[in-house]
Order: sequence, then C-alpha cells, then structure tokens
Amino acid sequence: MGLDRRGFVKLVVGGVAGTLFTPVIWQGLDDASIWSQNWGWIPRVPKGEVKAASALSKLCPAGCAVKVKTVGGQPFAVTGNTENPMSKGGVCPVCAGGAQLMYSPARVKSPMKKVGEGKYEAIKWEDAEAMLVEKLTPLKGQDGKIAAISGDETGTANEVLSAMLAGLGSTGYYVMPGEMFTASKGVKLMGGNGQPGFDIEGADLVLMIGADALDSWGATVANQKAFAATRPTGAEATAQFVYAGPVLNSTASVCDKFLAVPPTATTAFSLALANALITAGAVSSASDFGDYKALAAKYTAEVFEKATGLKAEVLKDLAAKIKAAKAPLVIAGASFGQGAGALDFVAGASLNVLLGRVGQKGGMTLLPAAPKAIASATDRENAKDAASFLASVATGKATPGALLIYEANPAYALPQAGDMAKAMGNIGFKVSFSTYMDETAALADLILPAPHPYERFDDAMNPYGVSKPTYLAGKPVVAKPVMDCKDPVDVLLAAAGKLGLSLGFDTYADVIKAKAKAVGADFDALANGGIWNGEPKGGSLSLGAAALAKAPAAKADDKAVALAPVSKLAYGTGSLATPPANLLVVRDTELLGKDLLVQMNAATAKKLGVASGNKVKLSAGTGEVKALVHVNEGVAADTVAMLLGFGRSAWDEFTKGKGDNVYKILTVSDEAGTGLKVWAGSTVTVAKI
Amino acid sequence: MEEKKQCKGCGGALPFVIGFVAAVIAGWVLFPDLIYSKKTQPVRFSHKIHQEQGMECSSCHTFRDDGSYAGIPTNEKCMECHADVVGSDPAEQVYVEKYAKTGKEVPWLIYQYQPDNVIFSHKAHESLECTSCHPDMGKNDTPPVYYENRLSGYSKQTMKMWKCERCHAENGVSNACHVCHK
Repeated sequence: MGLDRRGFVKLVVGGVAGTLFTPVIWQGLDDASIWSQNWGWIPRVPKGEVKAASALSKLCPAGCAVKVKTVGGQPFAVTGNTENPMSKGGVCPVCAGGAQLMYSPARVKSPMKKVGEGKYEAIKWEDAEAMLVEKLTPLKGQDGKIAAISGDETGTANEVLSAMLAGLGSTGYYVMPGEMFTASKGVKLMGGNGQPGFDIEGADLVLMIGADALDSWGATVANQKAFAATRPTGAEATAQFVYAGPVLNSTASVCDKFLAVPPTATTAFSLALANALITAGAVSSASDFGDYKALAAKYTAEVFEKATGLKAEVLKDLAAKIKAAKAPLVIAGASFGQGAGALDFVAGASLNVLLGRVGQKGGMTLLPAAPKAIASATDRENAKDAASFLASVATGKATPGALLIYEANPAYALPQAGDMAKAMGNIGFKVSFSTYMDETAALADLILPAPHPYERFDDAMNPYGVSKPTYLAGKPVVAKPVMDCKDPVDVLLAAAGKLGLSLGFDTYADVIKAKAKAVGADFDALANGGIWNGEPKGGSLSLGAAALAKAPAAKADDKAVALAPVSKLAYGTGSLATPPANLLVVRDTELLGKDLLVQMNAATAKKLGVASGNKVKLSAGTGEVKALVHVNEGVAADTVAMLLGFGRSAWDEFTKGKGDNVYKILTVSDEAGTGLKVWAGSTVTVAKI
Repeated sequence: MEEKKQCKGCGGALPFVIGFVAAVIAGWVLFPDLIYSKKTQPVRFSHKIHQEQGMECSSCHTFRDDGSYAGIPTNEKCMECHADVVGSDPAEQVYVEKYAKTGKEVPWLIYQYQPDNVIFSHKAHESLECTSCHPDMGKNDTPPVYYENRLSGYSKQTMKMWKCERCHAENGVSNACHVCHK
C-alpha cells in the first residue's frame, strides 16, 4: 500500500495531533520563554556568604576607612566603617563606588608595552619587569636620569620610591601638587616645621578661606562628620561655618555664610580681615606682630572692596563674629585643592596665630614628622613638585632618561596640561604604574597594572588636614585581583634588587608592617579598620610678616578674568575619572551633553559681552577650552568658574570625551618671595565663538 | 464502487493513527532524551560515605549567622578534612589535586538552581523536610546524572513556579509576586 498525497497529509495531521498529547509543544514553549530571558548582558548575582571586610580605600586623596561588602568573596558594595573614629561610618562619594570601580572597563588588564602611537601589546609580567630593569640599568648612578612622579600623598610607597631613586644615584623624586606641600612650606615661612592640622571638631567658628573643606579639601569625610556634629537634630547649631571663596560650592552651600571672594584676592581678604581684627583689639605675642600690624594696615576697607568686590560691612560683621567666638579656626587653601601659593596659606594661617589659636583645642596644630620605615627615604616635606619638573623637561633643563609614574596622572592633572603631556614626550622611557588606563598611561612606553585598593596592602600617614598624627593601613579584601596586576612597590623592590640595591624589604606588605611598628601602631588592628593617633607637637609660629611683605598686590586686567576651577569629589580626582554612577549627579548647568558650562555672575557676563547659552572659548597660555555660558550669581566678581575632572581622553566609554579639561588653561607663575610654582590665581580671556 | 469507498475510508484513518502514535511515542520517549543533555558532577561526591562517617546533612549544608543558607559547602569547609588525601577513593584525589590545592572552587552542578530573580529563603522553609523539594541525596554513592535543558539552560529538577504556587496555596501562604521576586 503506497502513501499517496492525501495519506501523507493525514500522517502529518496525525503526527501533529499526537504531538499535542506529548510535552513537546508545551515544554518547548515553556523552555523557550525561559530561554528568552537568558540574555548574556544580564548581570549574574554571585552566590555565597555576604560578609563585610575592613579596607582602606585610597580612591580619594585622603583615603576612607570603609567596610567592603562581599558575596562569595567578591566585593559588591561599600559602606562606611562605623568603628573607625576618623570616618565614623561615613564614606566619600568616590570610595562609595569602589566596588564598581574594581570591575571598571577602564582597568589596565595586564602589563602592556607600547608598540606604536597609541598601540599597545599585552606582555607577560616577567618580560615587563625585565624591560624595566633593562631600561634603568644604563641610567643608574647618573643624577637626574631616573625620575619618579608620585600621586600618592600619604602612602609609605613614597619612601620606597624616593629611597630607590636615592640608591640609584638620582634626586629626581617628585610629587603631584597638593595643599600639603604648600602648607608645609608656609609653616616654614612662619618659623615652624611640620604639617599643619585643623581641629574642626573642637572649633565653634570655622572660617574657610578658599579651602573646600566639606567636599574636596583635606580629610573630607572627617570634616563632614565634624560639621554634622555641630548640627544636632532639633537643636541649635553649636558652631558657625563661614566660606570665603570664589564659588558657591558644596561647602559654601551648607555654611552659615558665603562670601564670594575671587581666587586672586585670598591674600588680600585674609590681611584685610587681620586688619579688621587688630582694629577691633586683637593682639599677638608673636615677635613680628608690629610688622604684621603695619602690613595689615595697608589692607584697608577700600583695598578690601576693590580686591574682593564685597562691601566693607561684610568684613566688619565677620571680624565681630570671630571676636565673639570662643574657639575660632581659619583654614586657608585653594578652592580646588592645589596651586595656591605658600603666601596664601601664610595669610590665612596668620589669623590663627593672631587669634592665639595655634596648638589650642579647636585651633590649628602642627604634626611632627612621622617616623620612616626606610631611613634613606626623602622627607615628605622636602619632596619636589612635579609641575616644576615637567616644566624643566619642556625647556630641556631636565633630561631624564626614564620616568616612573606612580598612581599619578600628570598628563591630565597638572596646570597647562597640554604642555605637560607634550613635555613627557621628551622622556625616552616612561613607565606608568596605574590601576586605570588614564591619560598618562596612554602616553607611557610600559604600563604596569596596579591593584585596586581592595586588592592591595596600602597605608595613609597624616592625610592633609587632620588635627593630630593619624595612621591608617589596609590589606587586600579579595584573595586574587580581578586583573593580572602586581603591587607597584613589589615590582619596584624586585627591580631595585636586580639593580643591586637592597632596601631591606621584599614586599610592600613588609614595608607597611615596618612603618606601623615604627609609628607604634598595631598593623593587624589597623588592617581591621582601626586607626592610630598620636599627639600634635607643641611650638609656636610667627605671623609670617616678613614673607607676607613680599605678597604681590592683585593686578587688575580688564581683558582677563580670574579662573576658579571647581573640584567636586563626586566627579573624581586628577588621578581618577568620574565614577560612572556619579555621572548621573552632574547637573545640566555643569555639563550639558558633551559641553562643559562656564559659570559667571551677570555682571561678569555683561562685562565680557556674553549671555547664558553662548558658546565661548577660554584661553590662557597655550591652552584653550570651549564651553557654554551659564549665568550664576554664586560666582565671585570678575571670576569664571568651571568644573575640573572632565575632558578625559582616556578611561572608558562613560567618561571619555565629555566636556573639556580645565587644567589646560591653568597657567603657572612663580610666587614672589618663595619661588613656588602657583596657578590658583590663574586668569583667562573669554571670547564668544 | 462500494468496495473502493470502504478501502478509501480505512486507508484514510491508518496514516492518521500511525502519525498520531509515532508522535506520541517520539514526544514521550525520544523528546526528553533530546531536550536534555546529560552531565556528571566534576567530582564524584559520595553522600553515602560521608553519612557513614556519622555526618549529618547540617554538618555541611548550614544556615549562616544571618539566616541565609550556605547551600553547597565551599573549599573552606571541604578542606577541613580534605586539605590532603585521607582515603583511597580516586574521587577524593581528584578533589584535592584539582580544587583544594589550586584554591579553585568546585563548579558543582546545582540540581535545583533558581534564576536570580527568585529569592528563595531556606530559613522560611525550614520546617519542611529537605526531600520535599530536593532529591534524597543522603544514600547516594554517586551523584545522580545532571540533566540540563538544552534550550533553557536550567536543570531538569529546577522547581517551576507553578509548584511553588501550588504549595503556597495549599498552605495558605501568599502568592503575591513580591513574596519571591524582590
């Protein structure tokens, strides 16, 4: 019996009907519906025990003592460490995203060797380390031929780096700019020694001149906790906070009073305030009080009004408030945490001396130099600044053959950034020890991936701003780094060994343990989220009158306006691009699409002939930045304000190409009397395009 | 003429029946073999031997301090006894050399793995017998074959939502979405 067409159709129909009585269709549909949810991009939740481990997160400059929450050993979230007396459970906006940053696509995944312009090839660690030794060997013993730039202000890694250079016969150890550096120089100008500290917690009036102490200056979280403690719920505030700076920034917005002071007028503001206080009866036992008084007398109400654009009554009110306070404290610094001159610091700090607040509770303190783990290391206060070094490289005065860059991003985060990046091109061999593919790593000949803070041992000695000697240390949270990375200090110690130099340690962990021992701290307690505190040293300071006498008067320039870069910790730092999650909090008045906004008040806009929404070009030196105008009355007179942290050319898809890099238009000048490189009072010309 | 009609009617039913029966057989006999791939556990773990040593289920399958369920133990637990080879079973040697000594966790195949959007609390179901939902593994010398659905990727034994809902309904527990999907 053959199967004709009709029979075949019946067979198929029978088959289909039969299938309906089997699981084929029903289970197939069910499975297909489940399959449709199995997209590869859906993140998988790791399974395992949820734990919280103590860590030292040095993503922010001061370092946060945090608890890293892990599941199955893998970090997934960060909270503050309530047991740590410094952070008291707080965490800064950068460290809060630390777990996500550990898995960032911008991380350097393995050692890489430059094989062409912008082209890199992954290499093995043994080859990378051999290359490092091979390049350093011929430069050994020649001063200035091996240089290093460190972007870590507080770590003992600096001791290894500087001691290694000294051992190889070079004095080329440089640090990225920061307030700690200029403030320590300022203390010297006041006849003292040591890093200044500020007891915000104990003060009942805190005047911040420039220093953005509740956001991007000093130990931010500790400062914020101290501020919060003075604002008890349902009760009167126990301390007043006044911000005198160029922009109504995050600090100013929560203060009792904001005084819009242009960045070019901070010294004038401080000395005019000194004059007002002296007029109101303030005297000091400092030996140079007479000279100081005479100098301050030059900063009359008229000079104050001309320099700041503020009314003289404002100064009177402030002086009265300070006189009435029992424990006033003055903190001076650049509004964006760098580039201020030592004289700006001296002018502000002299107010503490005038008010008798040095060494007092709620006053300014001096921290003794911390004991070193490596005796041959450079003292922190004697470190040289990287901006001057690269400026010398640009002019050919310095001719290093190799540059080691440790946790720093000089190609992006130095003033006149474009020139600095170009100057790096004059150096034959550049090694970047970096966790992320930043702008400097993108120029390096060899990139050696550094571990993320949760993957390494690290420490922080006296983060700038703390009122007493402070030491924190941390150990890895994860058993194995996410990327093929090695601790830079371990790599340097191994390289030093191959170059015939022994620093007495094999690993960074050993160095930190030795440091803890030297300090008198228990490393295990520190690694478990503890803290070591010492006592500030005694001693008095002069008013710095001799140094302040050299302070230049602010120059009036009709064509240029002062530039006030704005630093918001949430938007990252020089060495860390904005964490992707934090891009969500950038306002449309700060970054609109890919355009950065330049803020200025209506009077400045009128003077410059621009209006909100206009596209303008800001120029200074060889750099220029394009931006849209946004009129904002929270900006000081004759000042334009712009956010730092944007205009990234490296990093990842989230941060790259957004806005422009304001560091390009910060111009360096020599501070009169100190010779320090300064750029906090940079001016720019603004032209409509 | 009459004969031809009869023959046509009979011939017409037969192909249908054949197709029907063949599909039913294929659907019930061949399909399950085709839709699932068979996998074996990376280490032949014997629950039987461990039970014979006097161990309880809860010796390894524990609740953590926060009430979450540890599920299958990690190397940390296994290595309390098996950091080195202590017996003669070759499976133990495989475990020690491939996992304990390398620090790599054993990629156990989870018979009842649930998707991430299901929040199942073992603590809330503590009063039930383990075997109400899981196969009785205690007497197994060799772990049962793991059947992985080629289409969905899940295990054959993964409990479907209708089973959860039925049990909840029978026991007067809410079947609101948020009870299991957070």
